[in-house]
Amino acid sequence: MKKSVYLILTAAVIACVLLPVLTACNNSVAGTGGRDRLVVYNWEDYIDLDMCDDFAAYYKEVTGRSLEVTYTTFDTNETMMTKVLKGDANVDLICPSEYSIEKLLLAGCLLNHKDVLADIAPQAEQLGLTFDGMSSLGNGDGNVEPDIMNVIRPMFGALEGSDGKTYDMTEYMVPYFWGTLGILYNTNVISEEELDEYGWGVLWNVQKNPLLENKILMKDSVRDSYAAAVFYMYEYGLLPEGYEDYSVQQLINCTDEPILRTAERILTEQRAHISGYEVDFGKDDMINEIVYADLAWSGDAMYAIEEGDYDEETDTYQLGYYVPSSASNIWYDGWVIPTTVNNKLAAMMFIDYMCRPMNGIRNSMEVCYTSAVAKDKLRQDEDVCAFIEENEYDIDEYFDDEVRYPVINETLGVMRDFGARNDDLVNMWQRAKSGAGIDSSLWWILFVIILGIGLVVGAYFAMQALKMRPRKTPSKSEDSKEL
Amino acid sequence: MKAKSARRPFRLTKKAFGIPYMLFLMLFVVIPLVLILVNAFLDSDNNLTFGNFKIFFSSASSLIVLGNSLLVGVITTLLCLVIGYPVAYILSKMSSGKIIVLLYIIPMGVNFLIRTLATKAIFIALGVELGMGTVIFGMVYNYLPFMILPLHTTLSGIDKSYAEAAQDLGADKATVFFKTTLPLSVSGIMSGITMVFIPTISTYAISQLLSNGKIFLFGDSIQLSFEQGMYGVGSIMSIVMLVFVLLSNFIMNRFNKGGNAARRSLW
Repeated sequence: MKKSVYLILTAAVIACVLLPVLTACNNSVAGTGGRDRLVVYNWEDYIDLDMCDDFAAYYKEVTGRSLEVTYTTFDTNETMMTKVLKGDANVDLICPSEYSIEKLLLAGCLLNHKDVLADIAPQAEQLGLTFDGMSSLGNGDGNVEPDIMNVIRPMFGALEGSDGKTYDMTEYMVPYFWGTLGILYNTNVISEEELDEYGWGVLWNVQKNPLLENKILMKDSVRDSYAAAVFYMYEYGLLPEGYEDYSVQQLINCTDEPILRTAERILTEQRAHISGYEVDFGKDDMINEIVYADLAWSGDAMYAIEEGDYDEETDTYQLGYYVPSSASNIWYDGWVIPTTVNNKLAAMMFIDYMCRPMNGIRNSMEVCYTSAVAKDKLRQDEDVCAFIEENEYDIDEYFDDEVRYPVINETLGVMRDFGARNDDLVNMWQRAKSGAGIDSSLWWILFVIILGIGLVVGAYFAMQALKMRPRKTPSKSEDSKEL
Repeated sequence: MKAKSARRPFRLTKKAFGIPYMLFLMLFVVIPLVLILVNAFLDSDNNLTFGNFKIFFSSASSLIVLGNSLLVGVITTLLCLVIGYPVAYILSKMSSGKIIVLLYIIPMGVNFLIRTLATKAIFIALGVELGMGTVIFGMVYNYLPFMILPLHTTLSGIDKSYAEAAQDLGADKATVFFKTTLPLSVSGIMSGITMVFIPTISTYAISQLLSNGKIFLFGDSIQLSFEQGMYGVGSIMSIVMLVFVLLSNFIMNRFNKGGNAARRSLW
């Protein structure tokens, strides 16, 4: 008895000693070999990775200390949020989407950039850092596109916290990339007229294009697939009663039971027409023509279009990107500093560094998303223009491309945090993904297997019976003779 | 008490070597299980609740997913048995059987994710539509070695004199097989079934990869719940799965005992 108590005690002691040591490795500002550390938590394929080394060099130049940049990734906002909200993410910088920033901010996971600046003010002053590229420090929009701030400010400028205080989200985030949600399609299979006529319905194969059947990919991301379903309802007049007059902005953020129920039905129906759900392999499958339509974010789409084939004779690309004119989603991803930050100076410097026009365009060129650095500042920067031309783009064409720089209007809704209603949405998504009933093909397969086994066993017994017969018959006839 | 403990100072006995593993079990098996149990009764704001049970058991979809998973598990196990038994039987007859068995086991050394991704690439190259068929193929492919190995061990451990005796007594080949080899290998069949069925009902990556996420099994559902931060519902699903694992283990053990009895009663 006593021995087991000791055992548990030692286990507890060892655990108590080990765990802080293990976590402490991540916690200290100074990393291995006396170097400073910066842990960046970002989307996959969302930065020019050389930038991390360049930033380390810049950091050394300014502060005289070397820096180790650790770059970690997530694939959906929800995965990232779960980690951050449960306190499992020991990171210095995160780059979530706007609705996700709202949720993290209200959950108290983020730091106000002004407060962070106040903490590092002596150091910053000594090093001569002003951070004037950032939009979150209250001195104008910095290098960030004013049009973006004009959308974010009225919407997220005064968030009501559960503690009764109001928070200005623009002080907590600096936009990084922005874009739209739309349909990436194969131009050989889907025509532009088809897209104009059917809009979001293309993802449900409403037009009954035989080539498209089972060749559609949806996003394995709750919010994006729900948005597509709502837009489809809006476009085809499938909205439940009482919601017909809602605007795109209202609809995309509505989680009322009737809408959820309709969305569930629509998403379940869609299963019969699609190939599946993805978050990472859609681009490749589109380029390799494994599928012909994909719900995609604008940057991924532009990347795929560029990587795909281009026919010089007819001047057509293999792939195209279409944002239905009736309704879509516009999103803004931005840098935030979580409360788990260890190296505030490096985090602030990193954000500021990303806001430089040249770095904005470098990232943009690498991953194809639209940089949140102001269009005018990019255009006026000679280095930027030279860089764009170096990459074989026409400068006017680059900046006038409506896929890259969409016109922001009321048909593009911005997602908001659903708060406590989010669980209802996830439950709906679970139901939609599990389908309407047990897969009938399973019963058939089971039936065939059991039939097969039954046949073999039956054959054995039949053979046994056959063998028994010749032995018995002569003896029987003998018996009858005797009788 | 004091005198007793003083008389037994710490010595490096056999038991001492078990302590590291005991610690490991405590840290990574027992404590997580307790956490799952605790989480099952907490809502997203960490209040005590039974709501998670209601969410899980009142929705048809979670039961559909569970049903789908169990069916896929049964089918995979049956297919593995039907394919694996003859293979193991033939291999046990061969003198060089062990090397060929290795050929069956070596693919197991390759990470299952890589194997599954490669399978997917092959299916796409062949133009096979991803769906239930491909998922079951992937499952059988992945779990077949788990069936063959215990079967092979049991079959090659059977004393040949039983079969010879049966033949001497005039039994033909089929009768020899059904009356001696098959009953004697029941324990192998049972451990094979346990080793295949239990992992298949909890598998998730294979179904997700080989159907582009369209086939949604219980493991996928648990993963989605945890990913979305719904630890409560996810924990309950984990417990339900655990119950099924324990249940199938229990039933298998029961059967196995019955099998042994049958073996004894044969003589």
